[in-house]
Amino acid sequence: MNDRSAPAVRLDTVSKRLGWTWALRAIQLRVDRGSSVAVIGPNGAGKTTLLRVLATLLKPTSGTGAVLGIPLRDGAEAIRARVGLLSSRGHLYGDLSALENLRFAAWMGGVSVDEARLRAALAKVGLDQVSEQRAREFSSGMQKRLAFATLLMRRLDLVLLDEPYANLDSDGIRMVDDFVDEWRAGGGTVLLATHRRGLAVRKADRVAVLQAGCLHRYCRPEELEPADLDPQAEPATPPVLPAG
Amino acid sequence: MKSSLALRTWAILWKDLLIELRTKQSFSAMVFFAALVLFLFGFAVGPDTATLSRLGGGLLWIAIAFTGMLSLGRTFQSEEVAGGLDGLRMYPGEIRAIYLGKLLANFSMLVVLEVVLVPVAAVLLQLEPWGRFPLFVGITLLGTFGFSVIGTFYASLTQHLRARELMLPLLLFPALVPVFLGAVNGTTLALAGDPLDRIGGWIRLLISFDIIFFVVCVWIYPIVLEE
Repeated sequence: MNDRSAPAVRLDTVSKRLGWTWALRAIQLRVDRGSSVAVIGPNGAGKTTLLRVLATLLKPTSGTGAVLGIPLRDGAEAIRARVGLLSSRGHLYGDLSALENLRFAAWMGGVSVDEARLRAALAKVGLDQVSEQRAREFSSGMQKRLAFATLLMRRLDLVLLDEPYANLDSDGIRMVDDFVDEWRAGGGTVLLATHRRGLAVRKADRVAVLQAGCLHRYCRPEELEPADLDPQAEPATPPVLPAG
Repeated sequence: MKSSLALRTWAILWKDLLIELRTKQSFSAMVFFAALVLFLFGFAVGPDTATLSRLGGGLLWIAIAFTGMLSLGRTFQSEEVAGGLDGLRMYPGEIRAIYLGKLLANFSMLVVLEVVLVPVAAVLLQLEPWGRFPLFVGITLLGTFGFSVIGTFYASLTQHLRARELMLPLLLFPALVPVFLGAVNGTTLALAGDPLDRIGGWIRLLISFDIIFFVVCVWIYPIVLEE
């Protein structure tokens, strides 16, 4: 199923257990297409797990959900064709040059490996002058930029960004913001998980506050309470777990 | 847009071999280790030509197997450094390409190693593979393919285990028994000139197991990876 009118994300009491720990507990979430959602919360709140469930890298332990109208349980391949995930480590190969990393991503993503196109993607993230340099010689911020370039080459409807602001200077932060704006202008949806709450909410239409695996609040940025932006806030009492 | 299975397989093979070519860490260690194993066996057996000729095939395969473990152990290391297999899994298209690309990379590495190793073995163990050389090469390639097929699969299975260096050989070697059986006997007969023409049975065994293991591993790899 691929209903264009379906929301970008719909989760219905989705829970995920990792070992003996419930990483997500009965998450109810709806993200409209073309919107930007910031997922905030302290370390261990379940932000990365939520993104990995949406990317179909983890199967929900219970509950149902759909991404771009495609069911999570049996639509992994169709979802991955239209969803991009930028993980905190970026998935780069240190012994390949920036250009070779992009060429590999293009081959794997099924997009044109035209040299000019690869160089254009590098220029967009400000790495065109170091295209032949190996990724391991880059700073953390430059590696993050290169990881963004691998996403830029694909036509994606939903982008999941895990800690995109980590290790970035002010120029890098501006690049992420521009990326989010550009993606949304093209009709794409962005889910952005970070513990840097102040940065995240600037570009968000809605904010999902996760605490101890529970969706504590899902609201507009202006509706957030001061405690939601306080990293030291006490976690909410977990709701009753679903059976199983 | 999805990428074809062949293109994705090629991409992973290209990437792995390029990284190996750049670092040369794994291959240098493999060559040194294999030569050391052959050297020690040569010393242990002594200069008795008849014994060396009888044991030569087995000793050569012990060296290939031990050295191959080094290669298999590193199969998914570049992915771990890059953040795990999630990055590869997120690309659209056939997930089996990950297995096929890694399998071909391992096979290529082992074949290049054998090109170096066989002349060394010929000198140290006084082997004479040149008499029935095409047969010797064919059996070696069949054995190496079988080793790579099963080894790559188990390397993928054990990549997340803490004691993977221990678990990989423990799980792998029992599964490799049919391949080693065919490869060792076939190689020994090829080295001896196969006077009784018994080599055909071992070749058929190797081909059968290579096909069976290849089909099974390719078939169940997505289930293993996704679950």
